[in-house]
Amino acid sequence: MSSLNDLAELVISGNYNGAKELTQRLIDNGTEPLEIINQGLMAGMNVVGVRFKAGDMFVPEVMMSAKAMSTGIELVKPLIADRDMPSAGTVLIGTVKGDLHDIGKKLVVMMMESAGFKVIDLGVDISPEAFVEAVKEHKPQAIGMSALLTTTMLSMRDTIEALEEEGLRDSVKIVIGGAPISQSFAEEIGADGYAPDAAAATDLCKKLIA
Amino acid sequence: MYERGIVMGVGSSHGNGLFFRTLTEKQAEEIHLASCQILEDTGMVIHHEEAVELLRKAGAHVENGNRVYFPSFLVKQALQSAPSRVTLYNRNGDAALHLEGSNVYFGTGSDTLNYLDPFTLERRSWRQEDVAKAIRICDKLPNIDFVMSMGLLSDVNPLMINREQYAIMVQNTEKPQVVIAEDGDTLKDIIEMASSVRGGNDRLRQKPLFMIYTEPTSPLQHPKESIEKLLIAAEYGVPSNFACGGVAGASVPTTVAGALVQANAEALSGLVIHQLKAPGAPFVYGYGNSPLDMRTMQAVYGTPEAVLFQGGAVDLAHYYQLPSWGYAGCSNSKVCDEQAIMESTMFTLMGALQGCNIMHDVFYMEFGITGSLELLVISNEVIGRTRRLLKGIDTDKESLGVESIMRVGPGGNFLGDDHTAKHFRQNWMPDLSDFNNYENWTENGSKTMVERARDRIKLILETHQPKPVSEEVKAQINEVLRKAKEKLGGS
Ligand code: B12
Repeated sequence: MSSLNDLAELVISGNYNGAKELTQRLIDNGTEPLEIINQGLMAGMNVVGVRFKAGDMFVPEVMMSAKAMSTGIELVKPLIADRDMPSAGTVLIGTVKGDLHDIGKKLVVMMMESAGFKVIDLGVDISPEAFVEAVKEHKPQAIGMSALLTTTMLSMRDTIEALEEEGLRDSVKIVIGGAPISQSFAEEIGADGYAPDAAAATDLCKKLIA
Repeated sequence: MYERGIVMGVGSSHGNGLFFRTLTEKQAEEIHLASCQILEDTGMVIHHEEAVELLRKAGAHVENGNRVYFPSFLVKQALQSAPSRVTLYNRNGDAALHLEGSNVYFGTGSDTLNYLDPFTLERRSWRQEDVAKAIRICDKLPNIDFVMSMGLLSDVNPLMINREQYAIMVQNTEKPQVVIAEDGDTLKDIIEMASSVRGGNDRLRQKPLFMIYTEPTSPLQHPKESIEKLLIAAEYGVPSNFACGGVAGASVPTTVAGALVQANAEALSGLVIHQLKAPGAPFVYGYGNSPLDMRTMQAVYGTPEAVLFQGGAVDLAHYYQLPSWGYAGCSNSKVCDEQAIMESTMFTLMGALQGCNIMHDVFYMEFGITGSLELLVISNEVIGRTRRLLKGIDTDKESLGVESIMRVGPGGNFLGDDHTAKHFRQNWMPDLSDFNNYENWTENGSKTMVERARDRIKLILETHQPKPVSEEVKAQINEVLRKAKEKLGGS
């Protein structure tokens, strides 16, 4: 039991080499895989989330913790049947057509991954058609769209319309963000939500998908 | 820089010996070599066929169609053909900005989303009339040397924003402009508008009225539109930068030195492409760094590291003997408060000491999301103070004032001496700053600096009309806009 706590501590301190070693040892000792995830790796990451919100940890440290968690999960994953694998859900994300800003979007991706989402990052300059194709292929629970330009934010509306035309709109939750985006814009174009930063984006997806 | 002749012994040297530098010559060389290593070993992804072809023919190694590795000799060659000085001319055709040596010039930023209306104090979208007013104010302020578009227009066809902004700028001030363009076609239309003011493309090439701001997408990528603009600029002789908009900790390294290495590599790669297209075309070495704040995840302006970064980059420009581009007068604050003045003033003063030739973003608030005319007007005064500082101390016989000191003697007073009457006007004098005693200050309404700035804005708008362009030029500008609208469609 105490080694599960140790594992959580290694995740909290972002020691991914240590987390990898200990995860392997726990597996070798016959510890239940789901226990390793829930009481070790995820438990550590939950503390990180709380500390980040309280301002006691900073983004680069959260990234290291997330890395520690995922190196552990990589080892445990093969031992668990896919359907038992805890996942907060699948999110498809991209920067919209004509827009190349991706720093904020990448942050959102990293934060969501560290919160246990499976995230498929389509990249930048993603057209409505490409979003539609990707939804067909990956069947996500949610789509995230990022736009930093006033001119490109209009492509969000086009994407929502394209999803409607294909009859896919109701199969996904749509969240949007980026500097020029607002709650009222989200409502105007019929998105399900808006978040001003990566932490809020993660909370929003949790709420919408739950 | 080696073969280019004079080795710069100093970073920048102003007036009578006011002197400042951030990097030693050796550090500049270390950064230069590290950037060359990145260019050669990591290379860049360049999404532009013509540019890749130019580079391949010149001796660059290309993989997967667009990954280009730059041998160091290409950098050397580009540095040799690029001019060490670039001049921007105003609408009248007079030389206005001499981008060379340690000269410093200041101007606004482009495309803020929100206007802090100085009359209603609302934070709202910009309309055409707001941008026109803001540019008129710049026209009047003596220490604002050039303009950028300031606000994103919410009341025009979104595809036309940059063209409409240019039409407003060029008609509301005689000062030169720095321009953002969505793409190559936009840039060509802006060139057409500028050349109608100048009286032809040849004249525009000879006396550039504007500079184009284009940039890589860090890390190490060149979008198609950015290169398109860079090549058009080279072809038409429009001065251009290629300024990395780095976000330290996200798109460039978090250390100042690492950010410099990468930004420098990116700027140099742009210079190489630009000079291959048109050797000798005017290029302004540029860079920018808004470090990511690791708590709020915002790309913030003017932190101590951002200011140091600029000092390093300016020293690199001096090392290469290229004109330099940077930032000043900008802030992260949401209103024009103490934080706004603290951040913007520190950047303005430091940028000037660094000898950064052309600094933009004066009036930026909220990391470029919002613009404040109060901050603009106050910065005008800050720049005035700064310019005085740059002149340093004269120590000629008259300035030493020995005769005057002898005349006044022990216990005397300089107020009645000729020397005072003759020289006091050389000293800086306040314009907006209040030097009254308490009683007179209350009598004038007990106004804070920001309130006085608002009064000034009103006064300028009531009294100042910029010189209009001729009816003929106006018609030509409208024609460019009309044709573009027709082509682009939309409302
Ligand atoms: C860095 C930057 C760039 C870099 C981008 C590098 C990169 N790899 O991304 C470069 C230099 C390439 C660039 C280019 C341009 N830029 Co720029 N850029 C910026 C800058 C300074 C910071 C953006 C940033 O990364 N912020 C940090 C990140 C972490 O924050 P964020 O993106 O807002 O993301 C957070 C939230 O918004 C939210 N979020 C983001 N995405 C999503 C998605 C979802 C689903 C959710 C829920 C939440 C969410 O969470 C994030 C994390 O907390 C901003 C100014 C600013 N302060 O915003 C201008 C800015 C966005 N750029 C601007 C402009 C005009 C341009 C150019 C057109 C300029 C030009 N010369 O051509 C080009 C356009 C290129 C293109 N076609 O996209 C304008 C946009 C104005 C507008 N709204 O139209 C801005 C506001 C600056 C300005 N006032 O001029 N830019």
